[in-house]
Amino acid sequence: MKIKNEELITELLEITGKCSIAVRKMRMLDLSQLNYKRTAETWSILECIEHLNLYGDFYLPLVAQEVLSHQPGNVPGVFRTGIIGNYFVNLIRVKSGSVKKMSAQKEMNPLHGDLTITTIDRFLKQQEQLESLLIQCQAINLTKARTAISLTKWIKLRLGDTLRFLVYHIERHTLQAERIPKSRIEV
Amino acid sequence: MINSLKTGGEKRICSRGELLLNEGEVEKNLYYIESGAVRIFLLSAHEDQTIRLGYEGSMINSLSSFLKGSPSEFYIEAIRKTTLKVISKEALSAIVNKDQDSLKGYQLLLENVIAQQMEREIDLLTTSPKERLQRVLQRSPNLFQHVPLKYIAAYLRMSPETLSRIRNS
Repeated sequence: MKIKNEELITELLEITGKCSIAVRKMRMLDLSQLNYKRTAETWSILECIEHLNLYGDFYLPLVAQEVLSHQPGNVPGVFRTGIIGNYFVNLIRVKSGSVKKMSAQKEMNPLHGDLTITTIDRFLKQQEQLESLLIQCQAINLTKARTAISLTKWIKLRLGDTLRFLVYHIERHTLQAERIPKSRIEV
Repeated sequence: MINSLKTGGEKRICSRGELLLNEGEVEKNLYYIESGAVRIFLLSAHEDQTIRLGYEGSMINSLSSFLKGSPSEFYIEAIRKTTLKVISKEALSAIVNKDQDSLKGYQLLLENVIAQQMEREIDLLTTSPKERLQRVLQRSPNLFQHVPLKYIAAYLRMSPETLSRIRNS
């Protein structure tokens, strides 16, 4: 798939903005609702968000590093997706509003029970950082710049794919978190 | 002066994890801790940084916000079940301006705060983790009896593993 940098970044910024708004709304809920789990294995809202924070902790510094080490400007401004990158993006991307169940990697599983409202505040700070990075990424070569991935150190993804992965992953779990309070009312 | 603060405040009991103040809110109170412990921390995108700890007998609040009336950059969290005396800014002002002695007492309190702040600055500039711990223990010898280890480690800017290794060596 080929896409202009500008188009890609605009789409990713739009999704990022929507997710921030959705999570800001969740901040109004009370703590018992934020921590509500339908079953012991399914995540609460805060666990969904903390899962995203853990990903952010891993990827945001890597993206920031790439942005610093690649000169902006003088690039084709078109991003070509990689085969592996595309595979991962399609794996986690939400299609037609349905989230297919997957199990998270152990290191990214927010097991600890004492999550508070600061989990959400931390997420919103990461979103701000992500937005700023996305804007900066528009001017660099997203095909040439590469980042490591959390799963294995043997694969590197094109920066454009990393950004797509990050943003669609956030969209996925924001949607998941949004559906949790509804299920409580049904119970 | 301090005694009238202790008796003047309104009693409040917080459960563990309860936030006394959120980032962005204006600090309107001074807290005297009767029992339990609290921490003041700064939240960034990737971690939270504990900048102050308070326990039995401490006076604590988000000071710059309290003094300037500006939004607080810090959170205040109860890290154990904590009983507080909450003294509002107005109540404090009434106590302080009551007589000459109270005014002097308040001045002394503020001078202490400034001196503590300088001590903390030296803490942060001290490279050796062991020395950092020793400096803090000199000021607060019974810190470990009041505050869980992980928060002390964060305050000292070291991992909990490093802290327990230093303690045991």
